[in-house]
Amino acid sequence: MAAVTAAQPRASKTESYVDNKRKEDIRQANINAARSVADAVRTSLGPKGMDKMISTANSEVIITNDGATILNKMEVLQPAAKMLVELSKSQDAAAGDGTTTVVVIAGAILKQCLSLLSHGIHPTVISDSLHKASTKAVDVLTAMAVPLELSDRESLIKSASTSLNSKVVSQYSTLLAPLAVDSVLSVVDPEKPDMVDLRDIKIVKKLGGTVDDTQLVKGLVFDKKASHAAGGPTRMENAKIAVIQFQISPPKTDIEQSIVVSDYTQMDRILKEERNYILGMIKKIKATGCNVLLIQKSILRDAVTDLSLHYLAKAKIMVIKDVERDDIEFITKTLNCLPIANIEHFRAEKLGHADLVEEVSLGDTKIVKVTGIKDMGRTTTVLVRGSNQLVIDEAERSLHDALCVVRCLVSKRFLIAGGGAPEIELSRQLGAWSKVLHGMEGYCVRSFAEALEVIPYTLAENAGLNPIAIVTELRNRHAQGEINAGINVRKGQITNILEENVVQPLLVSTSAITLATECVRMILKIDDIVNVR
Amino acid sequence: MAIEKIFKDDASEEKGERARMASFVGAIAITDLVKTTLGPKGMDKILQSTGRGHGVTVTNDGATILKSLHIDNPAAKVLIDISKVQDDEVGDGTTSVVVLAGELLREAEKLVAAKIHPMTIISGYRMAAECARNALLQRVVDNKENAEKFKSDLMKIARTTLSSKILSQDKEHFAQLAVDAVMRLKGSTNLEAIQIIKKPGGSLMDSFLDEGFILDKKIGLGQPKRIENAKILVANTAMDTDKVKIYGARVRVDSMSKVAEIEGAEKEKMREKVQKIIAHGINCFVNRQLIYNFPEELFADAGVLAIEHADFDGIERLALVTGGEIASTFDNPESVKIGHCKLIEEIMIGEDKLIHFSGVEMGQACTIVLRGASHHVLDEAERSLHDALCVLSQTVNDTRVLLGGGWPEMVMAKEVDELARKTPGKKSHAIEAFSRALVAIPTIIADNAGLDSADLVAQLRAAHHKEGCNAGIDVISGSVGDMAELGISESFKVKQAVLLSATEAAEMILRVDEIITCAPRQREDRM
Repeated sequence: MAAVTAAQPRASKTESYVDNKRKEDIRQANINAARSVADAVRTSLGPKGMDKMISTANSEVIITNDGATILNKMEVLQPAAKMLVELSKSQDAAAGDGTTTVVVIAGAILKQCLSLLSHGIHPTVISDSLHKASTKAVDVLTAMAVPLELSDRESLIKSASTSLNSKVVSQYSTLLAPLAVDSVLSVVDPEKPDMVDLRDIKIVKKLGGTVDDTQLVKGLVFDKKASHAAGGPTRMENAKIAVIQFQISPPKTDIEQSIVVSDYTQMDRILKEERNYILGMIKKIKATGCNVLLIQKSILRDAVTDLSLHYLAKAKIMVIKDVERDDIEFITKTLNCLPIANIEHFRAEKLGHADLVEEVSLGDTKIVKVTGIKDMGRTTTVLVRGSNQLVIDEAERSLHDALCVVRCLVSKRFLIAGGGAPEIELSRQLGAWSKVLHGMEGYCVRSFAEALEVIPYTLAENAGLNPIAIVTELRNRHAQGEINAGINVRKGQITNILEENVVQPLLVSTSAITLATECVRMILKIDDIVNVR
Repeated sequence: MAIEKIFKDDASEEKGERARMASFVGAIAITDLVKTTLGPKGMDKILQSTGRGHGVTVTNDGATILKSLHIDNPAAKVLIDISKVQDDEVGDGTTSVVVLAGELLREAEKLVAAKIHPMTIISGYRMAAECARNALLQRVVDNKENAEKFKSDLMKIARTTLSSKILSQDKEHFAQLAVDAVMRLKGSTNLEAIQIIKKPGGSLMDSFLDEGFILDKKIGLGQPKRIENAKILVANTAMDTDKVKIYGARVRVDSMSKVAEIEGAEKEKMREKVQKIIAHGINCFVNRQLIYNFPEELFADAGVLAIEHADFDGIERLALVTGGEIASTFDNPESVKIGHCKLIEEIMIGEDKLIHFSGVEMGQACTIVLRGASHHVLDEAERSLHDALCVLSQTVNDTRVLLGGGWPEMVMAKEVDELARKTPGKKSHAIEAFSRALVAIPTIIADNAGLDSADLVAQLRAAHHKEGCNAGIDVISGSVGDMAELGISESFKVKQAVLLSATEAAEMILRVDEIITCAPRQREDRM
């Protein structure tokens, strides 16, 4: 505890030399902890990477290949290890893909740092050199990149499938990749062509079927059935849709209230009044021509009662109840309508229009689809299917990664080769650059360059190839000027990776390098762990 | 043995030599803890919380480290206090002040061991501090008259402050940000008007300064996303229903239609409230509490932009910068002050949408949006930037500037040495010790950078023997360099505060000859 440390000074007070033992120990402990985290996810890198099964505290099982998810669920305690978890989260936020890559790179750089430190190089010198090296690395990557047009759908699909290939759902990449591309492209706002808000893409998960049945829906999908009480309609053409935030149920005041019933006839009267009240509301709704109602969930009182459902069914109005408040914005944006919070404001101009609203059965369960929406907002919905919950969850995560990849391409329109090609090229160019630098800097940059070889090395290792043979051949090919030579995991040899359609967005690579370096520099600069309140 | 019952059980008393010893040991331990964070190549610390969640903070800021320590030693607490005061007063130099005080005590310990009375040491220290201050005063540069030069001074100070922090790689960028923000304040030290928003993602270089105010909220559904010449009403009022707040109040009716009527009346009341709010002639309404669906729709119908659930800090700042007042009743439209701004629009930073108020009433207001890899980076960046802003705003008021890089310490040490030679009696030992303590600061800076401190400081001392020299430690190249050429500057106010409060703290601890520890308060839940 710090209180104890304060009472007993570590170094003797009058000595003039500095005792660095403890600092070295702390730094080593930090680096080792961070490296063990990196080693934990290392095997999940690349198309032949393995998955991890995580059993969470509430005995839920997750099978995943996604670095960010694995680390997130690991619940590490050591502060430096925690920083690596944060690092992977940042990569997830910045680029969405490459969450494993970034951690593996950070682990490799740390390993090199350990040997640099043991040579007695000052941590800040290493830190500064790493910064320089990473800036240079980004320049090299940018120079390697191939510009891309958004109209080039083929290339977009290629990069999305590269991302999907390393996942459980890789066999479906031919289906999911175009789906991801189409959904992102459909939400790009022509006014702000660089921005994609992934919240405009809604992913609905539904158990049953296989991943093959996953589809893109131009419109809305509700993961619930239409209300069947009293035989209400389940299919509606030329739908006029209202999103309501009030309740069709007997009135309830915010102040506590009680109705005093003194005799039997009064009870009859009250029942009749209740009926009239609801009937009145429904008539008003019907008068506007509305035939589909989306009712927001209410916690204060029942959104609908059996009675009101009955009348709504009679009035041939289709009802979907229990819509979450958080979804209202998405729905109104898609339907291009306004939410209605009071029966008095129920007017025709607030309604949304669609060609068809229908209930579709999927295996046991049913969903409601809204298609052919007039003046549809820039949103889209993806319906993910799968044979079990684990597959669906992993498919969703993979799809999210693919969406992020496409988003990266929209905001920064450059592609770069995959398959370890950029890393080897970086390593080669930085290695050459290190020779013209002076002093410690050159030495540190060379270590950085060597650390980057970890990516092709691990890729080869995970694919069951001979990593040393592969990496040396790769180095050789790059030295001869084939900057796009990379590991073709499927064929198990080195080919021109651009021709194999293995491409990824530039943003993923650059942000992996810069974020990993930033994190390593932070770990290097720490010389003490202090326990505080 | 009646004497032993003066104190309660568990209370303890330490006297004379032992008490002084305990103070020295505590203070020096604290100094040793933070001294590695000093200077541009100082290291960071991980602060691991033992509380819930085991939160982790990575920092280089002396004040932050000291603030969160568990400390039992009373002398150590004094040092922590001066670091806090330094943080509040000038914002920077929090580590320097502790290190200087610690070094003064270290020297004092040797003097006490050499049988010099603490009071003699104190009066020697006082003379030395006065002399050191005068030495600095003679060498200050004041560019108040020349705006151009003054601005470059500010830039230099900002760069120097930031170079010891996490922002050091991007110091050029952040120095510019900080200087721009402080220049907008036009001399006031009200840092409230500078808002710092942290958004994870992107890199530190993506941080930017924006005039006006940014609120991390969403605009209600179906409402305008962009308003020019906005009139803003900031309020803290319930937007569900005005309830009778007496426990057990309830309505008793005998038919359903009555219930419907009451419900209608409640709605009507809400509508009236909204009408009243709109009647202020506003087109933007910001509420601290939730705005429910019904009033939200009413606002949307009236074309008023309504923002719900703005946090307390948010609305206070908003009221401040737009020149409005926070209202909670709406019966007297004329008595409510309404805020104004030229443009409200929705902007996107990273993945989030925020609301930007530009062209606000209070012209000096601005927002700095920080971007960075993780929360650790962002938090540390905020602390660093805050230090820089504090120093700059102080410098705008007190425009005197010194060089940095150990230069002021060497100048002071030289003068203090002169004084020691002139002073007869035992005091001269204390004065000499003071000068040694001052030299310890450049020594530590050099040590932290992994340089040969003994050699460098000796070179520095030799260089300073010449009159009017600008030599200091150039940590980057690891040699003695010309601080004026390298553009390393510090604010006079910070240095002065470091000098004076460190001396005072050392003096205070030296005076102590008895420590009485009261019996700790009994707590049942412990052990």
